[in-house]
Amino acid sequence: MIHFDNVTKVYSHQGRPALQGVNVAVEKGEFVFLVGPSGSGKSTFLRLILKEERPTQGGIHVAGKELNKLTNWKIPHLRRRIGCVFQDFRLLPNKNVNENVAFALEVIGKPRRFIRKVVPEVIDLVGLEGKGHRMPDELSGGEQQRVAIARAFVNRPMILLADEPTGNIDPATSIGIMKVLDRINRTGTTVVMATHDAAIVDAFRKRVVELEDGRVVRDQSRGVYGQAYGGV
Amino acid sequence: MRAQFVLQEIWIGLRRNLTMTIALVVTVAIAMALFGTGVLLKMQVDKSNNYWSDKVEVSVYLCNKLSANPACQKKEPSQSDKDAIKNQLQSMPQVASVAAETQAQAYQRAKDRFKDTPGFSDTIQLGDIPDSFRVKLKDPKQYAAVVAQMQGRQGVDQVINERAILEKFFKILGGLQWAALIIAAIQVVAAVLLVANTIRLSAFNRRRETGIMRLVGASNLYIQLPFVLEGAIAGLIGGIFAAVLLGFSKVFLLGRLTRNLQFATELGWLDVTQVIVFSVCFGVVLCSLASFLTLRRYLKI
Ligand SMILES: Nc1ncnc2c1ncn2[C@@H]1O[C@H](COP(=O)(O)OP(=O)(O)OP(=O)(O)O)[C@@H](O)[C@H]1O
Ligand SMILES: [Mg+2]
Repeated sequence: MIHFDNVTKVYSHQGRPALQGVNVAVEKGEFVFLVGPSGSGKSTFLRLILKEERPTQGGIHVAGKELNKLTNWKIPHLRRRIGCVFQDFRLLPNKNVNENVAFALEVIGKPRRFIRKVVPEVIDLVGLEGKGHRMPDELSGGEQQRVAIARAFVNRPMILLADEPTGNIDPATSIGIMKVLDRINRTGTTVVMATHDAAIVDAFRKRVVELEDGRVVRDQSRGVYGQAYGGV
Repeated sequence: MRAQFVLQEIWIGLRRNLTMTIALVVTVAIAMALFGTGVLLKMQVDKSNNYWSDKVEVSVYLCNKLSANPACQKKEPSQSDKDAIKNQLQSMPQVASVAAETQAQAYQRAKDRFKDTPGFSDTIQLGDIPDSFRVKLKDPKQYAAVVAQMQGRQGVDQVINERAILEKFFKILGGLQWAALIIAAIQVVAAVLLVANTIRLSAFNRRRETGIMRLVGASNLYIQLPFVLEGAIAGLIGGIFAAVLLGFSKVFLLGRLTRNLQFATELGWLDVTQVIVFSVCFGVVLCSLASFLTLRRYLKI
């Protein structure tokens, strides 16, 4: 589903590479934690999958497409197969929960009948039944993140990318968010999640890819957060 | 593509930058109105020029009892003098034809021409306008030699070259036309800069929305269309104001000009409508294009 083939990414010519010779293959339906210290290249890894950035060297395949050969014209179609969640939620403050989720479908031109059918379904899936008419500032951080997940998932993407989705949320609420991501993963969606949250990585025991200074230093199935950070 | 969604986005964009939108509309309106006026004046000049170029004449007025010219000594030339003048005119290589107009004919023509202003036409007397020769030139521009030979000739009171009068009139119109076009060009530059600024602000205000649209895979068309239409609508509103101003231009500027200076043919509403449609389209295209080019800098893929 996602293949990095010896990928190097250099942002500025003087600086050191953000990613260096990265080889990672993520298969359909996997759940992968991407860990590593700040600046190790986790967000860069996710941005490369979306073709928000281009690799300096190496090839990337996502959902059967070779990104280097993908024209700008086709990028939106790639992104429709990928959902995205961020630490800062990125909801639209002047739209309620239903409208925020519907927005993702409206802007790709889905018919209104279809939107009216699927939006309530996904809102139930993330555990926000009955809160469809709340505005974002009437929700807790955890609830806002559920809205963001609903929006990312409403178009049933093949891949869900999450960049520190629990970064702004307390540990107890984080577990709830993780349960939602796990539920989405069980529908067959591939999930890649960058995180600093050792407790969550250790509790869920999924595949762990660790980056350090832009290199993959560990790739472990059913892994833990890491010895260096006081893991198991 | 969902029209309602796009329209809603445009409305939000225009309302958020209301002051900029108003400035833009006013600038576009003035630019297009001046541009259209310039084009109208040009059409007026061309049309009048065409109309008159085969009609202008050099009029050679002969002396009579009322002539103010001292060389005439208040005497009418004899028939043989008149024939001599006519022969001389006809022998000139520049002259196409010569027609004589008697006092009586001139009197009748003046009566007809001013019949709408009775106060004036009543005061015209037979003999006010002397006998004359109306000289048609092969090339209306070659009047100088004819005028030089006739001016001061015995029996000739004055030589009036209609072409010279027309040229003065065309010069004024031409000057107005260029003034309008130059100011319009400056206004067009101002309009383009204002569009760029308005769209930049709009893109900045809506960066959250556009950021999400990019991430969920909205096509560039969908992301950019509301902005481009925002520019286009501002251009269209400006163009509508310009159309009204051009209507005034036609009635008050051209209308008055052609009525007061009797020798201009007036442009019809058909011509004016063409100019209006062209100006409005130009305004819309200009604003849309400026928006689109601005977006390429401020919205990345
Ligand atoms: N747009 C950019 N331009 C230049 N350098 C960048 C850019 N984005 C990231 N970098 C650099 O690339 C390196 C990796 O950054 P990245 O954001 O991928 O790290 P990260 O692992 O996500 O860190 P964090 O855990 O703090 O989010 C850093 O050294 C960073 O300074
Ligand atoms: Mg990061």
